[in-house]
Order: sequence, then structure tokens, then C-alpha cells
Amino acid sequence: MRTVTRLYLSNDTSARAAGAGVLADAWSEHPEVQLIRISSRGAFYLEPMVERDSPAGRVAWFNVTAQDLPLILSGTDGTPVRSIPFLAQQTRVTFANFGETEPLALDEYQARGGLSGLETALRIGPDAIIEELQVSQLRGRGGAAFPVWNKWKVAQQARADQKYVVANADEGDAGTYCDRMILEGDPFRLLEGMLICARAIGAGRGYVYCRQEYPGAAKTLRAAIQKADEAELLELDGEPFPIEVVEGAGSYVCGEETALLESLEGKRGVVRARPPYPAQSGLYGSPTIVSNVLTFATIPNILSRGGAWHAALGTERSRGTMALQLGGRVKHPGLVEVPFGLSLHQILEQFGGGMAPGSRFKAVQVGGPLGSLFPASQMDIPVCYDVFAKAGAVLGHGGIVVYDHETDMVDLARHFMAFTADESCGKCTPCRIGSVRGREILERIQAGSGTIEDLALLHDLGDTMKVASLCALGGRAPYPVLTAIEHFPAEFRAKLRT
Amino acid sequence: MREQVKSVLARVRSKPPNILKALLALQERLGHVPTEAVSEIASALGVTTAQVAGVLSYYPDVRLTAPGRHLIRVCMGESCYANGCGRLLRELQDRLRVDVGETAAGGKFTLDTMSCAGNCAVSPTVMIDRDLYGRLLPSQLDTLLERYK
Ligand SMILES: Cc1cc2nc3c(=O)[nH]c(=O)nc-3n(C[C@H](O)[C@H](O)[C@H](O)COP(=O)(O)O)c2cc1C
Ligand code: SF4
Ligand code: FES
Repeated sequence: MRTVTRLYLSNDTSARAAGAGVLADAWSEHPEVQLIRISSRGAFYLEPMVERDSPAGRVAWFNVTAQDLPLILSGTDGTPVRSIPFLAQQTRVTFANFGETEPLALDEYQARGGLSGLETALRIGPDAIIEELQVSQLRGRGGAAFPVWNKWKVAQQARADQKYVVANADEGDAGTYCDRMILEGDPFRLLEGMLICARAIGAGRGYVYCRQEYPGAAKTLRAAIQKADEAELLELDGEPFPIEVVEGAGSYVCGEETALLESLEGKRGVVRARPPYPAQSGLYGSPTIVSNVLTFATIPNILSRGGAWHAALGTERSRGTMALQLGGRVKHPGLVEVPFGLSLHQILEQFGGGMAPGSRFKAVQVGGPLGSLFPASQMDIPVCYDVFAKAGAVLGHGGIVVYDHETDMVDLARHFMAFTADESCGKCTPCRIGSVRGREILERIQAGSGTIEDLALLHDLGDTMKVASLCALGGRAPYPVLTAIEHFPAEFRAKLRT
Repeated sequence: MREQVKSVLARVRSKPPNILKALLALQERLGHVPTEAVSEIASALGVTTAQVAGVLSYYPDVRLTAPGRHLIRVCMGESCYANGCGRLLRELQDRLRVDVGETAAGGKFTLDTMSCAGNCAVSPTVMIDRDLYGRLLPSQLDTLLERYK
């Protein structure tokens, strides 16, 4: 009889884009191989990565091609997963299942502690759930970093016939992908978080607003919802709690919670003035919790292990772990879950492995298109909400993009402003007009016909947008542009007409 | 076409009506949302034509014209930017002799851009229809395009 070897290969979108799909096709008919399609560990620089069991845990092969199969089957030259520094130095809590389980295997999810947070929540009831979240000091991971318990309390106390729970899976910040990984890799964790929220505030319906660019994520999530439904998990107090996946249509501002709700209602995704906040009056005017996917996925562990456990991780005002997502010209792009507080330098060296071959460091952007650029001299800044806020920066959704020596800062600044001009919802003038003016000025500078007054004009424009915009798109869009000018003034001046 | 529009609209009727959902369902079926259908959509959903037109023009991914047989989208997000998506886009424009948003002669490919595909860790990224390609070099484009008929 032929021996059959179980090989683990990720089914994550990025792992497939890196070649896992090709491997799966090549090996699908192989009599000696049983392929198990798991989530990705997030060490994307090693993908496609193939693993097999050994008495001492999983052993892995990196950047595998179809021809490597004999080597893997013979068990030669593998690396114990435990000894991969990129992974071993992380604190995997929310992402503990990644690389271990099949995303849609509810029994595996449960065997590894899944659903115990929900069990606790059902037992202790709404007030105690919210108290636990208060103790945990969890802040929202979508960008605004608002205390979660506070928002839930408002929704809980609101009197209404219907309440909603909405997961924000719009993940619009370029350079971020941890929500996509959760949707594709551990979807029951998101559903569990949403159910806990529904229990706490008394909601009767849930939605996941998923960006259109994530077809794989939407498909996996829909399958997970079906499985959860079959397992009779989607009910609370004997009442059904249906969860529906709704896909967006390519608008960045629809990640902003009020624009998202407009879009969920099928209207133009234009920002609503606040107050009232969605927790008071949200979807169809009912109290609604809109939270980020990562936020919901963090909650099951808080309920099962206790708020104090969570509060013991991180820094004074940033408790817990953060999922940082490395991209750009770094040597080891991938997902890094660590407690708040490490410096940017530590993260890029210890996990990022320094620069990609042939690249020299120029700047790093943290917090997506609304974040700031940091030059080499500012790499000591600790990654946490408070210090970033003091520096006028934001962590956003945890995206960290590294630029190398070839980056043209004037072009990058133009790129940012063009993005804002494209994505502005048009509700308020500073953002709608300001971003177009800003783009025009930067195009002028790029073409060699800008003047020193144009740089001054950009500053004034930026200051107006910062103070007078209705939402953070207009309010934060000037930051990447102005920090580019601040840290690389010579590049801008060199292009000016004299 | 009328019949197709009718049957899709019958399926997405809801209370309260959801215009975006209806448009996306039509696009799923027809590849785009024909502007001629606006009044039909409005009456089927019980909303005004202005409301439908407003939603139609707001969302970048709702297409008013039919794309080519394959839709190529180059990611312009920051991780892809750092990894040379600008060069990829220029190469594709040269090869297909089209600008962003246009369909190449013969109707095979439509070229477009997108913002982040969540594939930043293996960027630069190109999405063709629903397939994602990462770590793409300009030199690999020919072989890639040949796969699409
Ligand atoms: C322009 C803009 C885009 C946003 N995009 C997203 C997004 O893609 N995903 C997200 O979770 N939050 C996004 N937000 C933040 C949301 O408005 C909201 O604060 C968040 O979803 C709340 O969830 P949290 O409390 O879990 O962070 C965006 C905000 C703005 C101003
Ligand atoms: S700042 Fe821009 S995106 Fe935000 S509400 Fe105003 S116009 Fe819309
Ligand atoms: S920036 Fe291109 S995939 Fe994220």
C-alpha cells in the first residue's frame, strides 16, 4: 500500500497570488499527497509555504515550486515552524489559529477555544459583557481608536424596536490586509465577535460590509455564515440573528461609518454629519454598532480570558496587541501581531528583516492614505495610539509601507492628493475643492512650473482641510503630503521654477 | 436585454428598496448597467430616476459601458506604488495601446486601476477578472496576457 502524506498549503488570496494555487493544481491528482488548505501564517515572504506534521510539530518548506515535492515527501531540508524568528517573536492571540486550521472547519475552531467567549457572554449577560470590555480597555482597530465599551453602552441603553451590528470589512487603507486574512482565514472569530456584540446591545440583525476587491473573502465568509447557521449558532435568546454579507462598489469613503451605512441602505456613500452617532441612530435610523473586523475578532478572547488579561498587554493607553501589516520595500512583508509599544525601528528590523535586496531606506508610511511619513531620524517612535497622536500621526488600521531610495517624493505627494480628489464624497468644500487644488499645485510642481508660493499655498490649503473638513478623509489627507514636504524639502525645491 | 433587466429587478425588490444592490445585481448579470435601464430600475424599485442616476454615478465600480472580455486592474495602492506599479501600468498601456478605462481594439481587454487589493505583502498586484497576481515583473506580462483568450 502506498503511504499518503498530509501536506498543509495555505488557501489565502495572497498565498495563492504568490503561487500556492499553482502548487495545488500541480499536486491535486498526486496519489501520495493529501492537501489540506489552511489559512496563512502571514509570513508572506515565505509563501508559497508547504508544511507537514512531525513529532516535534509542523515542519515547513519555503517559496516552494512544484518540483520540490520529492524533497518534501522525503522530509529533507524542512524548517520547524517554531523556529522561524518572524513568527516565534510574535504574540499571536487574535491570529493564533493562522496556519493551523482549515478556515471553514467549525470543529477545529471550537477545539482551539473558539466559541468559549460567546458562551461566557451568553452566561454573564449584557451589563457584565460591557464591563469586561471596559476593563480590557480595548479601542477600535478601524482607525479612530474609540473605546469599544463606550460605544456599546450607548447602543445598549438606546430604546428601539430594532438594533443592528455591522462589521466594517471595507479595509480601504492601502497597505492593510489583516481584515482580509480574518475573513478568509478565521471567519468564525468575526462571527463570534458580532454575536457577542448583538447579545450585549440586544441587536436582531447583522451585516458585514465587504469591499468589492475581496471576492475570495466574501465567498469564504458566506460559507462560514451558512455553516454557523446549520450549527444553530446564529440565534440569541431563541430568536434568529441573521448575518448578511453586502459587497461595496469601490468607494474609499464608504469605509467611514456613516457613509458605510448610507451605502448599506443602497444610497450614495456620502458622509452623514454627527451627532447623532450610529450607536444612537444608524442603519435605517436604528441604534447600530459599526466596528472593524479586527475589533470584532479581538473580542472573543477578551470574553473567554477576561478583560484584565487583555489590559495586561501593551502600553498605558494602548492595551492589547496590534496586527501590523508590513508592505512596500521591506525584506519580510507580512502580518506581525505584537503588543503595542515596540518602536518602528524594532518592527522593521526584527520582523521586517531590513530592506529588500537592492533597496536603501527612504521613508515609512504608517496608517494608510491618512497617515504620515516618517524619515530615518524618527524611527524610535513607539507604535501606540498616544505617542502617535502626540506626534500628529495615526496608527490607522496598522499598515506600514516602506519606501526605498528610488521613490520620488513629489510624485508620491501628487499620488496622495490625486487619491483624495478621486475619493472625496463631495459633502464639504474644503475637501472637495481643496484636494483638487492640491493636486493641481503638485502637478504644477512636478511639471517644473511651480513656485515657492505654491509650497506656501499647499501648507495653507492643508491647514484649512485639517480644521474645516467634516470627516477624517479631508481632515487627514494633508498629512502624508505635508510630511513628505517637511522631511524631503530639497526634492520639492529642486523642482521649483526659479 | 429588457427581459433580463426585468427578471433581475424582480429578484432584488426589497422593502425599503436598495438601489445599489439592484445596480450591482444588474451588473453581475449584464457586465454593466445600461443607462437606458434607469427609468425601468426606478419604477421597479419605486424611487425616482434622479435617485437611481445619483447612485449610478457615485460608485467607481458600477460600469455604464460593457467592458472587454477580460478586465485588467492594476493596483495603485501604496505598497504596490513602492514596488513599481507605475511601471507595470505604463507597460500595459503600451502593450494594449489603451489608456486607463479604455478597451483595447478587438474588445479583449479593458484596462483599469484599483486601490488596494489586500495583496500588499506580495505586491505589485494585478487583478484580471477575479484572479489575482502578485510579485509581478513587467517581463512577466506577456506570458500572463497570453493565458487569456
Ligand atoms: C475616509 C475614512 C475611511 C475609513 N475606512 C475604514 C475602513 O475601511 N475600515 C474600518 O474599519 N474603518 C474605517 N474608517 C473608520 C470608521 O469610520 C469607523 O471609525 C470604524 O469602522 C469603527 O470601528 P472600530 O471602532 O472598530 O475602529 C474610515 C474612516 C474614514 C474617515
Ligand atoms: S471631508 Fe471629504 S470625504 Fe469627508 S465628508 Fe467632507 S467631502 Fe466627504
Ligand atoms: S497596495 Fe496594492 S495590494 Fe495593497
